[in-house]
Amino acid sequence: MLIPRKIKHRKQHSPKRRGVAKGGTSLAFGEYGIQAVEGHYVTNRQIEAARIAITRHIRRGGKVWINIYPDRPLTKKPAETRMGSGKGSPEWWVANVKPGRIMFELSYPNDTVAREALTRAIHKLPMKAKIVTRETGDL
Amino acid sequence: MAGSVIDAVRCWRALVAVTLSVDAHRTLAWRSFTVSDVKIAAELRTEFGKGAARRLRRADKVPAVLYGHGTDPIHLALPGHDTMLALKNPNALITLDIAGGGSEMALPKHIQRDPLKGFIEHVDLLLVKRGEKVTVDIPVILEGDAISGTRVSLDSPSISIEAEATHLPESVTVSIDGLDIGTQIHASDLVLPAGTSLAADPDTLVVNIIASQDVAAEDDAAAEQAAADEAAEASATPTEENSAADES
Repeated sequence: MLIPRKIKHRKQHSPKRRGVAKGGTSLAFGEYGIQAVEGHYVTNRQIEAARIAITRHIRRGGKVWINIYPDRPLTKKPAETRMGSGKGSPEWWVANVKPGRIMFELSYPNDTVAREALTRAIHKLPMKAKIVTRETGDL
Repeated sequence: MAGSVIDAVRCWRALVAVTLSVDAHRTLAWRSFTVSDVKIAAELRTEFGKGAARRLRRADKVPAVLYGHGTDPIHLALPGHDTMLALKNPNALITLDIAGGGSEMALPKHIQRDPLKGFIEHVDLLLVKRGEKVTVDIPVILEGDAISGTRVSLDSPSISIEAEATHLPESVTVSIDGLDIGTQIHASDLVLPAGTSLAADPDTLVVNIIASQDVAAEDDAAAEQAAADEAAEASATPTEENSAADES
């Protein structure tokens, strides 16, 4: 799973959720991509699940790129704890994904298989997302 | 002026339909034709700022700026639908009929789009003259299939070329039919249309034919290896508990 090797501060403020993606809104590597339609935190587990869904479906002959990285820690207080006594302990690593961001890219020769692989990956992600291609000029 | 754009699109569709109906070899030929000239009626903009720009967009117009050749920038408002049709081709040569400003030829330099919907928010147009050489990026189109058991890696989906502004090719076609593992096609190997020269580095890797690998099997092997490593580390050096520090 993706996790930062070294961090400056163990507990951070929660990332801001407003706005749309400033960059990374067009395909840079592959012919197919998954574009976020909504903003959401995507955890490293979700990224890994989506990646595995793609690779298990395409098996061989393709390449996958992950364009997001879970570099922000989210904390959680233990269950049945009274308020106060400081911030909780880090629980998740998340990528703060804004609408429009291309999260995954795929290069694969067969259109049907590529779309099915990306659809399976979208099911593992927490937000609405759509498949974009280089040929259709969606970008 | 909308009629001229629609006529151009109709002509283009008819051309594609004819070439597609002939045979597969001819189908590839149309891609190397030069891009069509599109006429668009433009108005001069007098108000500026985000309020004025948003009013324009609500009126189905696109704010644009025209510059080049050391002239002062001209701020324009373009018709939304015609501009959208014209910019389907990123290197379309646009003839602007500016109300009260004469006629100018321009190439799209930068297109700002809405990241989600893809609406055109603003266009930068570069002034060009007939016969002038310009540098543009054109897409690389692959033709044919490499041998089985290979993965075709298109390392440069577009390539930078220099050509006359009025004779820009739409794309460059590369044949990968029957290519074997380890074959590399560089920018210098591309066969460019007549009157076109390469502006990119000749050593730029365009296409790379590599062996296809089972990514899922590799993943499983890597996961097993990682689990084994973790288990070995855990048994060798017990990790220091820092939960007490967290609670404090």
